[in-house]
Amino acid sequence: MRKLTLGRGLFVGINTIVLTAVTLLCIVPFIHLLSISLSSNTAAMAGEVKLWPVGFSLDSYQFLSEKVEFFRSLRVSVERVLLGTAVNMFLVFITAYPLSKANDQFKHRTIYVWFFAVTMFFSGGLIPTYIIVKSTGLIDSIWSLILPGALSVWNVILMLNFFRSIPRELEEAAKIDGAGHWKILWRIYLPVSLPSIATIGLFTIVGHWNAWFDGILYLNSPDKYPLQTYLSTLIMSMNSMMTSVSSEQLEMLENLSEKTLRNAQIFMGALPIMVVYPFLQKYFVKGMTVGSVKE
Amino acid sequence: MRTLKKDWPLHVMVWPGVIFTLIYAYGPMAGLVMAFQEFEPLAGFFKSKFIGWDNFSYVFHLPDFGQVLWNTIIIAVFKMVLFLLVPLILALMLNEVTRRWFSRFVQSAIFLPFFLSWTVLGGIIIEIFSLNGPVNGILSSLGLEPIMFMLNNGWFRSIIIGTDVWKGMGYNMIIMLAAITGIHATLYEAAEVDGAGRWKQMLHITLPGIAPIVILLSVLGLGGILNAGFEQILIMYNPTVYEGADVIDTFVYRLGIFSQQFGPAAAIGLFKSGISLALVSVTYYAAYKYNNYRIF
Amino acid sequence: MNIAKIGKWALPLSLAVTAVTACAGKDNDSASSSPAASSPAASSSSSSPAASPSAEAQDPFGKYPETVTVSEVIGYNPPEDPRTPKGLTPDKNAYLKDLKDMMNIDVKFKWMVPSSQYEQKFSLALASGDLPDILELDQKNYEKLKNQNMLADLTEAYAQYASPDLKKYMESDGGFAMKTFSSDGKQLAIPAFEDPFLSTQILWIRKDWLDTLQLQPPTTMEELDKVADAFVNQDPDQNGQKDTYGVALQKTLFFWGFDLRGFFNGFGAYPSVGDAQSAWIKGADGKLVPGLIQPEMKEGLTMLQSWYKRGILNKEFALKDENKVVEDLVAGKVGISYGEWWYPNWPLNSSVDKDPKANWIAIQIPGLDGPGKSLVPKIRSGKVFAVSKNMKHPEAAIKMLNFYIEKGYKKYYDPKSAEKGYVYNWFNPRIYNPAEIETIYTEVNKALEANQTEITLEDQNYSTVQGRFEATKDYFAKDTSKASNGVNWGQYFSRVAKDGGWGVTRQIKEKQAFVNNEFYGLPTATVVSKGSQLDKLMQESFTKIIMGAPVDEFDKFVASWKSLGGDQIIQEVNDWYSKEAVK
Repeated sequence: MRKLTLGRGLFVGINTIVLTAVTLLCIVPFIHLLSISLSSNTAAMAGEVKLWPVGFSLDSYQFLSEKVEFFRSLRVSVERVLLGTAVNMFLVFITAYPLSKANDQFKHRTIYVWFFAVTMFFSGGLIPTYIIVKSTGLIDSIWSLILPGALSVWNVILMLNFFRSIPRELEEAAKIDGAGHWKILWRIYLPVSLPSIATIGLFTIVGHWNAWFDGILYLNSPDKYPLQTYLSTLIMSMNSMMTSVSSEQLEMLENLSEKTLRNAQIFMGALPIMVVYPFLQKYFVKGMTVGSVKE
Repeated sequence: MRTLKKDWPLHVMVWPGVIFTLIYAYGPMAGLVMAFQEFEPLAGFFKSKFIGWDNFSYVFHLPDFGQVLWNTIIIAVFKMVLFLLVPLILALMLNEVTRRWFSRFVQSAIFLPFFLSWTVLGGIIIEIFSLNGPVNGILSSLGLEPIMFMLNNGWFRSIIIGTDVWKGMGYNMIIMLAAITGIHATLYEAAEVDGAGRWKQMLHITLPGIAPIVILLSVLGLGGILNAGFEQILIMYNPTVYEGADVIDTFVYRLGIFSQQFGPAAAIGLFKSGISLALVSVTYYAAYKYNNYRIF
Repeated sequence: MNIAKIGKWALPLSLAVTAVTACAGKDNDSASSSPAASSPAASSSSSSPAASPSAEAQDPFGKYPETVTVSEVIGYNPPEDPRTPKGLTPDKNAYLKDLKDMMNIDVKFKWMVPSSQYEQKFSLALASGDLPDILELDQKNYEKLKNQNMLADLTEAYAQYASPDLKKYMESDGGFAMKTFSSDGKQLAIPAFEDPFLSTQILWIRKDWLDTLQLQPPTTMEELDKVADAFVNQDPDQNGQKDTYGVALQKTLFFWGFDLRGFFNGFGAYPSVGDAQSAWIKGADGKLVPGLIQPEMKEGLTMLQSWYKRGILNKEFALKDENKVVEDLVAGKVGISYGEWWYPNWPLNSSVDKDPKANWIAIQIPGLDGPGKSLVPKIRSGKVFAVSKNMKHPEAAIKMLNFYIEKGYKKYYDPKSAEKGYVYNWFNPRIYNPAEIETIYTEVNKALEANQTEITLEDQNYSTVQGRFEATKDYFAKDTSKASNGVNWGQYFSRVAKDGGWGVTRQIKEKQAFVNNEFYGLPTATVVSKGSQLDKLMQESFTKIIMGAPVDEFDKFVASWKSLGGDQIIQEVNDWYSKEAVK
C-alpha cells in the first residue's frame, strides 16, 4: 500500500485522537441515561448518578419488559416508519427526477421547484393544518402521520442535487436504446445513487421515528401513539400547572419520581434507530457509484 | 405546446407531489389571514375581525424587540456558519480514516445526540456547566477560578451555539459524506498518477466535488436566519441571560402570544417566513445570474 | 332539609345499587346526605313532595330507559396505582361500566390525551368547532365559551338532579364558588374547589439537622437567618464537608413550590399567589393594592441578597428548575424549604427513603417578630365542569357527578379495585369533598385514638379515608409491602399527623394567622395583554437584585411596572372590587 511519510503519520495520529474525542463527547449523554436507568430510584432522584450506576438495579428494565404501552407504541412506530418511508421515498424519487433535469430538458422545472420551495418557508400554522387534516378524514388514523408530510421538499431538493451529478451521457445512451423516463429513473438513476438514497432514507426513517407532536395532534387515543409520542408523555414538564398543586396533581408528581424507568424507556426508545445507521452504512462504500457503472 | 407534449411524462411524475403539497402545505396557508385578524378560535376565520397591520405593529413595538431581533440574528448566524464548517471538517477527517470499522463507529457516534430531545439534553448540559460540573472541575484542577457559565451572558450564548452544533452536526456530516462518496474514483486515480498527495487531492478533487452540496446547504441555511433554536433556548435559559439569549421565538412564547394571541403569533411567523424567502431567492437568482448556476 | 330533594318516582335500580342498604344507618350529618334513593326502602319512605321551590326534584341516580350517550374529552395521567391492569386506557375504565349499569349512560371519548398536552389539543378542538358534551374548563376557557354563548344553563338540572352530597359540597362555602360561575342568574358551570387554606405557606425544616447543631426551630426571620447560616457553615450532616446550603429555591421566584411566597409573607409582603400576577391585599384606604410593589418587598430582597452572598441560597439557583431543587432536597444538600402541606407526599418521601435519619417538620412561617401570616386565597378552584349547549341531556352531567361522589361509600369500597380496572382520576366529571383533607385528618385520628382496625365512617368519604388510614397503619407497623416507608410516612405526615402538613396548617387556620388575597376574579384585560411582560420585568429585576444588584433597583422596577401597565391593572382590579366582589 501507500508508504507512510512522517507528516502523514502525524496527521493520522492527530486525526484519530480528535475523532475519538468527538466520539466520546457524543456518547456521554447515552452513558448517563443508561447509568440512571440501571441505578436505584433514590440515587437517581438525588442526582447522584453520573456515568456509572449507583446502587445497581435492573428493576426498571424488569418493569419495562411488562410495560404494554411501550411495546404497543413500539409496534406503531415500526409500522409508521415502514409505511412512511415507502411513501416518502417513492415521492422523493419521482419528484426529484424531473426537477433534476436541466431547463432545456424540462422547461417548467424552475416553476415547479419554486412551487415546492416556498412551502419550506411558509406554513399555515397549527390550527389551519389541523383543520385540513381533519377535513381530509385522516384524524385518528396512522395516515395522519404520513400523508401530511408525504412530500419532504427538503429531501427532494437534496435528491435532485445528487441526481444532477449523474453524467448526462448515461441518460442519452439509454434514450438511444429506447428507454423512457420511468425506465431511466429506475434502471439508471436509482442504482447509481445508493449513497444518497441511503442518506435520505436515513433522514426519513429518523424523521418518522423521532416525530412525536403530530401523534398528539392527530391521534385521539393513546393506544395508537407511536413510541416517541408515548415517551414525550413521560417527560412532561410540570410547568403547565399554575398556582397551586391540587390533590390530583400531587399524585401526578408522586408518579413522576420514577426517574429510572423513564430513562430506561428513553434509552430503549433510541436503541432500535441507532442500529439502522450502521446497517445503511454499507451503501456508503466508494466504487458503488457512477464510476463503476460506467465501465 | 410541443414541449408540453415532449415533457408530459415528467409532468406526470411531478404531479403527485404537487397534489400533496397543494392540499397539506398550501391549504393551511389560507390560515395566514390570521396575521391580519383579531383571531378568535371559536369564531373562526370567517367571523374574526380584520385589523390590517395592527398585529405586526403590536409585535414590533413590544419593548426589547430590537434587542431580541439582534440576539436572534447573532445566534443564528453563528449556528449557520458552524453547521457548515464543523460537519465539513468532520467529513473530510473521516474521509482520511482508512480503518473502516473506526470510521463507521465514529460516524454512528456523531449522529447519536441527534436522537435525544432538548428536554432530555437540557438538564444534562446545565449540569455539565454548573459549578459542581466536570468543566469547572477541570478549571479548578488547573488552578483557575470557577465560572458560572450558564449565568453569564457571553458564555451562555457560546454554550447555546456550541451544544446545538454538537447535537446536530451529524446530519450535515452525513450529507457531505454521501457527496464525497459520489465523487468519481477515477478522478482520484488520475490525481495519484500525477503525483498529487492526499492534501492536494482533498483541495482539488474532494472540495470541488462536494461544492454544490455545500452551497445548497448554505443557501438553505440562510433561510434559517431568524430561527435561533426555540426549544433549546427555552429549556436552557434563565432570567439572568434574557439580555443576551432571548430570541424571537422564546420572547414571543414567553409573552403568551403563542398560547393566547393567535393573530400576533401568525404575524411573527409571516414576518420570519418573508425574510427567509427573500434571502434565499436573492441568493438563488444571484447565483443564476452571475454564475449561470441553479442552486436547486 | 336536603333529604326532601329526592326522586319521587325512583326507578327500580340496578343490582349493583339495590344490593346495598348499608347507607341509611349512620347518625352524624351524613345521614341527611345519604343517597336515600339508592336504596328502595329509603326512597319509598322519603318520597315526600319536593321542597325545592324552583323545580320538581328528580331521582339523582335514576336509570334512563334508553341509553344516553355522552361525549367527553380527557387529559389524563398514568394510573397512580401500580396494580392497575397493564395497558388500560380511559375508555376502558371500570367506572364507565358501572355508570352504564346504574344510570344507562354511555360515555364516548372524542379524544384522550396525556394531561400535559390537554390544553393544546383542547384549543384545536375549539378552533375546529368540535366540542364534547361535557367540558372540563379552566377559568380562561370558561370565560371564552361563556362569552361565545356556548354553555348550557345548568340551573334547573342542578336543582332537580343534584344529589344531597353534591349539594352539600357546593353549599359548604356558602355558595361562594357556585356564584362565581354563574351569570345573569344562570348556573353555567359546577366548580371543583377545595379548602383555600390548602394554599397556606408553611416552612419545612430538617429537625435532625437542628438537633445536631443544637438549634431551635426558628420563629422569626432573624432566627431563620441564623439557622440557615448554620446549615451552610456548621456541617449539619456531619460529613466533614461544606456541601450543604440553607434554603431551597428554584428559578421561577413565584411558583407552586420551592419559591419565595412564604419567605416574603414573613415580611408582611404579599407579592404573588404563585403565578406571574400580583396578589391583592386591602390597603389602608380600603382599596386593593398589589402586594408585589409594596415597600415591604424591599426588606425581603435585602435579606435574599445577603443570603445569596453568604451561600444560604444556592449560587446557581437561577438555573434550577423544580426537578433540580428536588434532587438537592432528596440528596440532603438543603434543609429548609417554603411550601404547602403536601411536601411529605412529594418530594420529602424520597428524602426519607434516601436517608432514614431525615426528619422533616412543618412550622408556621417565621415573621418579623414571631410567626408570620401566610397569604390565603379566597377561593381555590382549578377547574370547572360545564355542558355544551348542544347536549340534549344536561342533567346527565349532574347525575354523573352524583355517581362519582356516591362511589365513595363504603358499600362500594373494594381493596382490589385497582386490579379490576377502576381508575378514579380518569372519571370525569368528578368533584371532591372540598373538606376532604379535614375529613381525613379527623377521621383517621379518631380511628387511631380508638385503636380501631378499620374506619367506621359510613358516608361518601369512606374510600379516601380508608386508603390514608391503611397507609398510616403501615407506617407505624413499618410495613413496606405495599409502598416504601417514605411513601407511607408521606401519606401520614401530610394529612394525618398533628404536627404534620395539614396539622400545622389547620392550627394556623384556627389562629386566623393569615392574610386574604382579595382578588379572585378573572385576569383583567391589561393582565392578559401585558401580564407576561410585567412578569419578565419582575423576574429579571428580582433575580438580579438577589444576585447582587443594588436593592434600590426595586424602586426602578416599581416605576416601570406601573408605567408598563401596572397602573391600569390597579384601576381594573379596583373596578372589579367595587362592582363584583362578594364582600
